[in-house]
Amino acid sequence: MEYTQAEILQTVRMTEMENLDIRTVTLGLSLRDCVGDSVAETASRVKAKINKRAARLVSTVNEIGDELGIAIANKRISITPVSLLGGGVRDRRGFVELAHAIDEAAAEVGVDFIGGYSALVHKGFTNIESEFFDSVPEALATTARLCSSVNVATTRAGINMDAVARVGHLIKDAATRTRETGGLACAKFVCFANAVEDNPFMAGAFHGVGEAEAVINVGVSGPGVVAHAMRHAPKDAPLDELAELIKKLSFKLARAGELIGREAARRLNVPFGIIDLSLAPTPKFGDSVAEIIEAMGFERVGAHGTTAALALLTDAVKKGGAMASSNVGGMSGAFIPVSEDARMIEAAQLGALTLEKLEAWTSVCSVGLDMVAVPGDTSAETLSAIIADEMAIGVMNHKTTAVRIIPVPGKTVGDFVEFGGLLGSAPVMSVNGFSCEQFIRRGGRIPAPIHSLRN
Amino acid sequence: MANEELIYRITRAVYERLGADADEQTVSNLVTDIYRAVEPEVKAKGVSGKREAVSSSSGSNARGDTGAGDVPPADDASASRLVVSVFGVDRPGIVASVSQVLADAGCSIVDINQTVVRGKFAMVMIADTRTAKESAAELKARFRQAGERIGIRIYAQREDLFNAMHRI
Repeated sequence: MEYTQAEILQTVRMTEMENLDIRTVTLGLSLRDCVGDSVAETASRVKAKINKRAARLVSTVNEIGDELGIAIANKRISITPVSLLGGGVRDRRGFVELAHAIDEAAAEVGVDFIGGYSALVHKGFTNIESEFFDSVPEALATTARLCSSVNVATTRAGINMDAVARVGHLIKDAATRTRETGGLACAKFVCFANAVEDNPFMAGAFHGVGEAEAVINVGVSGPGVVAHAMRHAPKDAPLDELAELIKKLSFKLARAGELIGREAARRLNVPFGIIDLSLAPTPKFGDSVAEIIEAMGFERVGAHGTTAALALLTDAVKKGGAMASSNVGGMSGAFIPVSEDARMIEAAQLGALTLEKLEAWTSVCSVGLDMVAVPGDTSAETLSAIIADEMAIGVMNHKTTAVRIIPVPGKTVGDFVEFGGLLGSAPVMSVNGFSCEQFIRRGGRIPAPIHSLRN
Repeated sequence: MANEELIYRITRAVYERLGADADEQTVSNLVTDIYRAVEPEVKAKGVSGKREAVSSSSGSNARGDTGAGDVPPADDASASRLVVSVFGVDRPGIVASVSQVLADAGCSIVDINQTVVRGKFAMVMIADTRTAKESAAELKARFRQAGERIGIRIYAQREDLFNAMHRI
C-alpha cells in the first residue's frame, strides 16, 4: 500500500475527530465594472454579477468536500470595497440601498457572509467615502450577511486619527441599532491597520483593488489538530521541539487546504489565489486556540508567558504554511476571537484573560483584538482609543492588526452576551475607565514611522 | 517510493525520441518497462501523469493557469481513487459489507490492508472510482448505512488528500 496505516489514521483522526476543516472557501469578486450612473443601476448590475459568478460556488465546494472527505465549513464571497462603487451614489442612503442589494444577492447564491462593505481611508477621506462611513451602522443593522471593514492605518501612511475617532462613534451607533441582539452589527465590523487584500476570513474580507477579476481564496483552520499534538507531546519536551511539531502539522494542513483551493478554482474556472492558514477557533469543544497555549504548560490562557507561547505558535504555523505552498497569504497565524473560543471565554470569566493581555497578544498573533465584548456604556472615545493602540501596534511592527469590539447595550462587566452560531458568546470584559477624550478629539494623523521610509 | 526524478528523466527522454504527439499510453508503458529494468525492486506501478510535468516544462502548458502548481490536484490516478478506512470491533462480514457497497457502486478494489489487534478491526481499502455509477455523496451515504448496520465506522476520502498531506 502506498501509504502507511499511521499516515491514513492521522488524516482520518484530523478530519473526523480533531475538527480539521477548511474554514472557508471565499470567492473574491471584482465589482468595479458594475458602477452605473444611478444607485439602482449599480445595484442591479452588482446583483446580476454576484448571481452569475457565484451561482455554482456553494454546490461545487460542497461536492469537493464530499469527495475529499473533509469538512468545508463556510462558503463566502469578498467583493471590491463598496466605497469605490459610488457611481451615482450621492449620499448615505444610496450606499444603504447598495448594501441591501448585495445582501440579497448573497442570500440568493447561498453564502453565509459577504465581505467588502469597506473603505480604505488610512490617509484621508474622499467626500464619497465620508458619506460611506456614515452609512455603515444602518447598512449592518438592516442586513444579515453583509460584513464591513475599514482600513484606518498603514505603516506607509501612519494612522488617520480622524477616521479612528469616527469609528468609535460608528461602533456605538451600530451597537445601539442592534440593541436587541446584543450589538450584533458590531460583530460584522472590523477596523484594520495594514489590511490585506486577499484575506478569505470574515468579517474583514474584501477583494482588493490590486486583485484580478475573480479569485478563489481558502482559509484553513484546525486548532484541534495542534492541541491534540501539544497534549500528547512529552511534558518535558523543550519549546523548540513543540515549534517543530506545530510546523510539521501546519505543513500538512496547508497542503490539504491548497488541494481544495486548486480543485475549487479548477472546477469554477477561476484562478486560485491564496491559502490562509490561520488557526481559528469555533465555540465547539476541542476547537480552541486557547487549549493549544494551555497545553504548552499554563494553568489558564492569559497567564504571564502566554504572549511568548502565542508568538511561538503563530511563527511555527507561518513557517509550516510557507514550506507547504507558494501561495500562502492573507493573515496566516493564530486568531484570538474571545467569543468564539470556549477556553478563552472561561479564562475571561475567571479574570485570567484581560483586555490588556489580549492587546499584548495582538503584537504577536495574526490579527488583533477580536470579538471582545465591553460594557455598553463604554464611550466612543474609549473605543477609539482602544483602536488607536491596536493600530499603533500594527503600524510600528509592519503587521496587520484589527479590532472587532462590541459595546453590548445595557450590559456591564460580568454579564454575558450570546451572538449565536459561529460568533459564539462572550463575557463582558472591563475597560480602563480613565478618560482619553482629549487625545482622541485632537484628530489629525499620527505620522508614519521612520521605518516606512525604505525607498 | 518510486524514484520520481528518474521516472521524470526517462519520460522526458522518451518524449524527445518519439515527439510530443506520441500516444500517452504507449509512453507510459515504455517508461514503466525501462524504469523496472533499471530499478528491479520497484513494484508494478504506473507512471501516468508525468506527461503533464514534461510538457509544461517544455513550454506547452496544456492545463491552463488554474491547474499548474506545487500540488498536483488533477493527477488523474490519485483523484479517481478513494481511500476507504474502516474501524470497529471485529466481527464476521465487515470486509464483505464494505466490498459489497463498492461492488454495487461499480468501483473496483485496488489494494486492501487489514489488521485485527485484540479484537479491534482496522482496514484500509483503496478503490478505483473511474467506473463508479454513483457520486461521492451517494457513496458516502451508503457507507454510512452499511457502517450503522454492522456497528463500524467507515470513512471515504479521495486519495489525493493523503497524497497532499503525506507526500512531497
